Amino acid sequence: MAEPAYTVASDSENTEEEKSSSTFPEIAIGIDIGTSQCSVAVWNGSQVELLKNTRNQKMMRSYVTFKDEVPSGGVSNQLSHEHELLSGAAIFNMKRLIGRVDTDPVVHASRSLPFLVQTMDIGVRPFIAALVNNVWRSTTPEEALAIFLVELRAMAGIQLKRPVRNVVLTIPVSFGRFQLTRIERACAMAGLHVLRLMPEPTAVALLYAQQQQQTAHDNMGSGSEKIGLIFNMGAGYCDVAVTATAGGVSQIRALAGTTIGGEDLLQNMMHHLLPNAETLFSTHGISEIKAIGLLRVATQDAIHKLSFQASVQIDVDLGNGSKINKVLDRQEFEEVNKKVFEKCESLIIQCLHDAKIEVEDVNDVIAVGGCSYIPKVKDLVLNVCKRQELYKGMNPLEAAVSGAALEGAVASGISDPFGNLDLLTIQVTPLAIGIRADGGKFVPIIARNTTMPARKEMTFTTVHDNQTEALIIVYEGEGQQNAEENHLLGYFKIVGIPSAPKGVPEISVCLDIDASNVLRVYASAKHRGPHQKAMPSMEVRMPTVDDGHGWCAEALHRAYGSTSDLVTVQKKI
Amino acid sequence: MTRQRQLRTLLSSSSSSARLRRTLNPSNPNLPIEFAAKPPSPSLSSFFSPSPTTYSNNHRLLPGRGLDFLGNRRLSGKIFLSSQSARELDSKCWNCNAAAPFLVCSSCRCIQPVDQSVDYFQIFGLEKKYDIEDQNLDGKYKDWQKKLHPDLVHSKSKKEREYAADQSARVIDAYCTLTKPLSRAIYVLKLEGVNVDEEETISELDLLAEIMEIREAVEEAADSQALNQIQSEMQEKIKHWSNLFANAYRDRNFGEAVTAIRRMTYYERVTEEISDSSRNTRVVDNGFAARMS
Repeated sequence: MAEPAYTVASDSENTEEEKSSSTFPEIAIGIDIGTSQCSVAVWNGSQVELLKNTRNQKMMRSYVTFKDEVPSGGVSNQLSHEHELLSGAAIFNMKRLIGRVDTDPVVHASRSLPFLVQTMDIGVRPFIAALVNNVWRSTTPEEALAIFLVELRAMAGIQLKRPVRNVVLTIPVSFGRFQLTRIERACAMAGLHVLRLMPEPTAVALLYAQQQQQTAHDNMGSGSEKIGLIFNMGAGYCDVAVTATAGGVSQIRALAGTTIGGEDLLQNMMHHLLPNAETLFSTHGISEIKAIGLLRVATQDAIHKLSFQASVQIDVDLGNGSKINKVLDRQEFEEVNKKVFEKCESLIIQCLHDAKIEVEDVNDVIAVGGCSYIPKVKDLVLNVCKRQELYKGMNPLEAAVSGAALEGAVASGISDPFGNLDLLTIQVTPLAIGIRADGGKFVPIIARNTTMPARKEMTFTTVHDNQTEALIIVYEGEGQQNAEENHLLGYFKIVGIPSAPKGVPEISVCLDIDASNVLRVYASAKHRGPHQKAMPSMEVRMPTVDDGHGWCAEALHRAYGSTSDLVTVQKKI
Repeated sequence: MTRQRQLRTLLSSSSSSARLRRTLNPSNPNLPIEFAAKPPSPSLSSFFSPSPTTYSNNHRLLPGRGLDFLGNRRLSGKIFLSSQSARELDSKCWNCNAAAPFLVCSSCRCIQPVDQSVDYFQIFGLEKKYDIEDQNLDGKYKDWQKKLHPDLVHSKSKKEREYAADQSARVIDAYCTLTKPLSRAIYVLKLEGVNVDEEETISELDLLAEIMEIREAVEEAADSQALNQIQSEMQEKIKHWSNLFANAYRDRNFGEAVTAIRRMTYYERVTEEISDSSRNTRVVDNGFAARMS
């Protein structure tokens, strides 16, 4: 067995260390790991430059093939043909799989990808495998991503003629903290040190802030505040941000994101073209993989063409007796994906609402990401924003990685004599964080879109007489009523609550997100009077959950029922 | 739903912000928040007493980080003192010893520890008054963040990075407090030594009746247009009471001012509630993909 391509680092390597402290600053590179494509950029001393691989590509396909003993990724590997990607040997869409459990609908939807995604539906990490010499060789999304990142790192090292260690990565808005730990883990395996994980549209917002500042300089103006709406839709995720920028400072007003993207458009179309695709593919035989691969390539190709022409002819022989010959037009494509587009619209509306910004007050509407080339996507963004045209001056595919490179330079303490790095992003929390209380409900303590760093405290009380223990179960999510619909971050127990009738003891729970985006949960039962012996309070860094956390909440419920529940302190009337 | 229930829901729903503010406000004497690990927090009287017990020039009023999580560095306004009277005239920059550093030392640009005696108005270079609508708060906020934000000082010492985190958080608090009329009103009264107890029960019968009427109107609202109508009525009322507050505050009629704040609080809650309920179109990341196929 050959040496593994990645270095195994302990989980703590990327977390316990000081986020940045070096006497000689190394400029961190920006990486945009897309669901389908990936790019790397760096501040070259005067501007942002995208790095190219040996085949002169700025955009590299995000996949890893396990064809030979040593796996190889899309950075260096030259595919002899697109179909090689679909032979079962390649793992891709890592970003849609990482940090998700096998009950997640997004994982379920990934089962029709041309490699093995197996789900047990019990809330553990899905089993994924690549086909090597007619054997399904198992791997994990983290491992696949790490192998890919190792190649990226090597490529960047050669281009920059120096070892690369520090990175700023862009991530989807909807990523929970557990998913972030998995990304950090993959980076640590690849020997990369994460300076910052930046929600994709906020990276675009930083580039926008820089451009606005330059414009203000050129006009000798004071640079009044500008509101920008950023819509970013790639292959895997759709994100929206509203930023208020002035003087190079980008204050994020609100974020909204969800797991929809080009992959959904593709899957919907495949399903439309071949309604029994899933049953056909369920056995994962070699000929089925080949068939689904052929269908995938043909459909993808058709969708691309529909961005530039009104209709497209699809002719594909799936090799198992079924052939597809069809003329597909834009209207049909838009009808099949109606729900995806509706969801995009509601995401923009939600973000504007959360930002408390009227659409008329938006100065610029910026659409980026691969899907922004789709006419319907452009139209819906313009329509919701009541605009005639989109912001010009950004390459839709390079905006996020460029913003990440700017942040990388700023975070490395680099300054620019012309003030081009005189930049700052003030981030907000993309998801609400709170605890389970009030009978299984999610009670947010830090609301969504709270400026970071943030610290909020809330008081709870007991539900039973003489209840001396309370479970603190911490969740993160978009604020769904039912706690279990959110992402579990961790749990612990408060003991030694003074015996008292229900509703009397006060249990305070405090959440703190520090400048490095580390979340700490503090909890303690309050004691009145000087004679009560106080119990130590708890401090827990979260997330504490590991893989397979899907059934933890259920297990806790089975073990404790409602005996250790809490309720919010109700307002007296 | 009985009227009683309705009222209860109206008052308790979306009151979490008020509750948060309450618990975040250690100057509220009704709330005995005391933790074992917390050093005795200096009270107003001890501040004026000559015995230099808990703080000196170096420590000031900055509580330590760590266990002391309730008497916290990010809590706004541990002690509210009006303006310069309390500023230590002999304060010096911890780094270069230059006299009278502010949030940042003007000679060596080092970030200073939080000085709680500097009030939010001073941070923004504003006169201490309620009507500050036209001031460029946002621009000044961003200017401060460019000097103080922890993201920008990573090359500095650990000590200074902590100061940056504290100062930056305090500037965020200051900005949020002064931006919104209601929290600004509560804050200016606090500076005058008047604490508004937001948990207080409503005793004014006309306000009770009005709240219930509004509540009914919200429930019976047929469409979003009707809700918008109520929403703008609320905005009008808030504006009206905001003006009354401004007058009362100027005349130092604090009783009247507190009444105005109470009114504003309830109208504010109604608007929050309407805007929450109109969010049924919310997007939830629940795996759209699978359901569509």
